[in-house]
Amino acid sequence: MLNKLIKLQPWLTLLFRLALGAVLLVAGALKVGNPQKSAMAVRAYELLPIDIANFFGYVLPWFEIGVGALLILGVAVKISAFLGGATMLIFILAISQAWARGLSIDCGCFGGGGAIDPSQTKYLEEILRDIALMLMAIYLYRFPSGRFALDKE
Amino acid sequence: MATNSNSDKGTRNLVIGMVSFIVIVGVVFSFISNRSSSTAQVPAAVSEADGYGIVLNPTATPQVDIYVDYQCPVCKNFEIINGGYLAEVAAAGKAKIVVHPMTFIGAESILAANAAACAADENKFLDMNLAIFQNQSSAENSGLWTGDYMKRLGNSIGLKSASFEKCVTDGTYVDWTKNVAQASAASNVNSTPTVKINGKEIDRNTQYMDPVKFRAALEAAGVK
Repeated sequence: MLNKLIKLQPWLTLLFRLALGAVLLVAGALKVGNPQKSAMAVRAYELLPIDIANFFGYVLPWFEIGVGALLILGVAVKISAFLGGATMLIFILAISQAWARGLSIDCGCFGGGGAIDPSQTKYLEEILRDIALMLMAIYLYRFPSGRFALDKE
Repeated sequence: MATNSNSDKGTRNLVIGMVSFIVIVGVVFSFISNRSSSTAQVPAAVSEADGYGIVLNPTATPQVDIYVDYQCPVCKNFEIINGGYLAEVAAAGKAKIVVHPMTFIGAESILAANAAACAADENKFLDMNLAIFQNQSSAENSGLWTGDYMKRLGNSIGLKSASFEKCVTDGTYVDWTKNVAQASAASNVNSTPTVKINGKEIDRNTQYMDPVKFRAALEAAGVK
């Protein structure tokens, strides 16, 4: 059993790299053309001072694209996984606090965002998705070397 | 083998460098292309102090700030429900009304905001505002709204002057829409429509889409 897992590890690393990398790349690409909307989505969490929220809204899509590209290519996997996982943790905390405070917002994860009708919120599934992605990032941090990566041991 | 591993390392560093470079250039580009400009041409009815919004009745009180995006469907509903009443209030000079056309939905929002600002210069802002909402496409950035389309809309409400058409064609106030966006962002407007009376947002859940309650909210602030 353990042997099998060890054999499987490079392939699991590849799978998680591609999955987490693709999600980040797509999420970034969908937001990058419209930083005004992205900044609005960050402001809607009512977590950060307005100027800082706006700054994050502009930076985040490019950051996601960069980390996603590195994961897919398999470069600096350990650092990329750490950055991707930390981003997911921040998302989980931000969405949870919005939920707990009774805000009605779209997470803005893949574009969109801002205040929405209370019946349209999807906090639980957004949090579960980000937890799954964070677990992948943790695995990648622990086992960064896998198949088809530019990184060599 | 040694050379091979060296070239791997070189490739790896090159890729890291390229990705970092793209990210940094991208961030800088996003900031530069969206920053507000102190040299942007602004419509005559606009004041920087009022967040670059289009101002009707500048000396009246109370002040009603309305943030919209011309492509936002809820804003269209808001206009249908409350636009007639707001036009009456504006015509009677019973309130200072400031309309902030935001453009976060994209290119066609900018086209529409520019055309509305062009109409403001011809004292036809509210008519154009209504005409734009009435002709909102069912999908965002569908290709329906073009410069020519905005000119025809203007023509349909009696805007036929060469200055209006030139303003629409030239996109005279395109840069101004960035100023509106930045100012709206700075005042923490997170969705459209947003309505503030004397700087305080009215209740989104009850007062926006109910014409009786919306009217009551304005009357409570002194609009008789």
